[in-house]
Amino acid sequence: MIKVNHLSYAFKIGKKEKENVVPVLHDVNLQVEKGEIVAIVGRSGSGKSTLLNLISGFIQAETGTISINGTKVSGLSESKWAEFRLSHLGFIFQSFQLIPSMTAYENIELPLVLKGTNEKDRVERTKEMLKRVGLEQYQSHYPGELSGGQQQRVSIARALILNPPLILADEPTGSLDSENERELLSFIKELNENYGITFLMITHDHEVASIAHRKVEIVDGYLREGRMLREVQR
Amino acid sequence: MKFKDKHRFVRSNMKRNRTRVWMTILASTIGCAFLIMLASVGFAIHKTAVDDVMSYRLMNEIQIQKENGMITDKEVKKLEKIKDVKAVTRKKHTPANEFTLGDYMISTSVFSAHMPSEIKAGFELDRGRLPKNKNEIVVGYHFSEQFIKEAPESFYEGLSEEESQEKHKELVYKEDLIGKTLTYHLTPADNKDQNAKNLSVDVKVVGIGKKPTKKWAIVTDAYITDDLRKEVVNTLFEKNKNEGSLEEGYDDVKVYTSSAEEVKAVSEVIEKMDLLTYSVASELKELNLYFTLFKAGLIFIGGIAVLIASIGIFNTMTMAVTERSQDIGIMKAIGATPKTIKRIFLLESGYIGLWGVGLGTVLAYMISYGVNFALPIIIEQFLNEKPPEDFILSYIPWSLTVIAVTICMGVTLLSGWRPAAKATTVDVLKALRRDV
Ligand SMILES: Nc1ncnc2c1ncn2[C@@H]1O[C@H](COP(=O)(O)OP(=O)(O)O)[C@@H](O)[C@H]1O
Ligand SMILES: [Mg+2]
Repeated sequence: MIKVNHLSYAFKIGKKEKENVVPVLHDVNLQVEKGEIVAIVGRSGSGKSTLLNLISGFIQAETGTISINGTKVSGLSESKWAEFRLSHLGFIFQSFQLIPSMTAYENIELPLVLKGTNEKDRVERTKEMLKRVGLEQYQSHYPGELSGGQQQRVSIARALILNPPLILADEPTGSLDSENERELLSFIKELNENYGITFLMITHDHEVASIAHRKVEIVDGYLREGRMLREVQR
Repeated sequence: MKFKDKHRFVRSNMKRNRTRVWMTILASTIGCAFLIMLASVGFAIHKTAVDDVMSYRLMNEIQIQKENGMITDKEVKKLEKIKDVKAVTRKKHTPANEFTLGDYMISTSVFSAHMPSEIKAGFELDRGRLPKNKNEIVVGYHFSEQFIKEAPESFYEGLSEEESQEKHKELVYKEDLIGKTLTYHLTPADNKDQNAKNLSVDVKVVGIGKKPTKKWAIVTDAYITDDLRKEVVNTLFEKNKNEGSLEEGYDDVKVYTSSAEEVKAVSEVIEKMDLLTYSVASELKELNLYFTLFKAGLIFIGGIAVLIASIGIFNTMTMAVTERSQDIGIMKAIGATPKTIKRIFLLESGYIGLWGVGLGTVLAYMISYGVNFALPIIIEQFLNEKPPEDFILSYIPWSLTVIAVTICMGVTLLSGWRPAAKATTVDVLKALRRDV
């Protein structure tokens, strides 16, 4: 599903003349199989988010290649990346990233709108998705009128609405209380088992055991493959 | 993303900042209305000037003159043969100009005209017929109005101007002139003190010319036959032998083409014949050039107002982009292409511009109508003067509307372009990090 080869990344800070290069990732190689849940762990500032952002296409590396689902995505133009993200990737963020001026319904519907899906399909699929995440009564609530757990469910619904084969999640439970965290993790597990959706997620160590098939650790920008935790169900 | 969805999206964004958006629309409205109003004054002056010129003469008319001497019959025949010439009217002035009937008297211009070509050129009779015999004449529509009795002594005494105008009507000949026999006095206009008063000939009015289409035009001319003119001239000539020989030629020659488009080509042919031409068409060309420059200047000045309004649009759109950079970042993260983002913001500035232009145009039409309606009344009230007929201060032809709409929309899209381009460069990570 994901193939990362010899990926290195460095942030460039400051003005052109006195540019300061901060290397963050060094020669990262990573392979994620279809149907896997892979957890990325590591200390704060080790480069986990940077790796995920590279795989998401939010930033572009100058060295190394990334392929997703058989498509070489490194080096794609900005608009090609956008199109790719829309149809292949779902995102779950720590801080939900819902559009505050849109209702829960509209936020979930947004990828369908961007895709240009017709009205009838849109209504049908959005309604169904609202039901699936248990937010039917909250469809016309704005993000500000929802609890953290509810907001995260809206954002998951939005990530799932176009049926992406891969979901990328950067500390998805980071803003949730323990009850919501458990609920979310079991939902991810269910999605993985029932629909074969692949997950690449940054998590805290203690969560990993409950759901991940495999964990990888980043230490100061170097990736270390961890051991297999459990078999992937086929 | 479908257009309908973009539209919906933009609409809801605009609604969220209603006041700001409406203020921006207001600025564009004023800018656009100002541009149209300012230019409309130029268009009105131009129109008035053109109408004025055209009201004197016809667009398909070419006046012909010779540098020295008069235009001869031979030349007239040649003129008639030129391609696209519909008619060549020629008039000879007759140096006697007084008619009487009993106490009534008129002094007017007397011509002998070639009636068939006059008819071809558009001359029409109000009533009666064209002359058949030598002593029959046709008179202009206003001839009878100037056919008046001499006022008795102290006739107008102690009367106001208006009252004396009323009183004057009592002196005017009131019966129908058709069939009446007038006395044509063969006294040259410039030779009053000669004792030739007794020389005269009787003429019969058989036709009266049609009322001229221009309200202010007054036609009192009398048209006599060629034969009568010859007789008159011979009689006068005999009395004034010392004044030199009588030239045989036409005083007033005009060429008529079928339409205004042919005037230029026909004029060129005529000029090759060593004749001088004058046509409204050629005069209008210069006039039009002058006014086109004038109008362009006004549009330029008006355009500055539009430019100022566009700064408002630029500001509003820049603020909208800044405010919504988080939304933009989220949308880009999910998979909105830069093109989609750009279109959304261009659409928003386009809507602001459209509203501004639409309202501005309507406002301009309303002001224009109001000004044209109110100004004559104001002039009459405060200056105690009647404004000129058909007076307009503001005229908005559809071409001005098109020009203004194009300028306003163009400037709007230009001013919305940069903010929209800026929106596409929003950094996804920065936007996503914002609230952490
Ligand atoms: N936009 C940026 N500009 C410069 N340096 C950055 C930027 N984002 C992150 N970094 C640096 O890159 C390193 C890795 O950051 P990050 O990938 O966010 O770590 P993690 O997610 O593992 O906590 C950190 O040292 C951080 O300071
Ligand atoms: Mg991080």
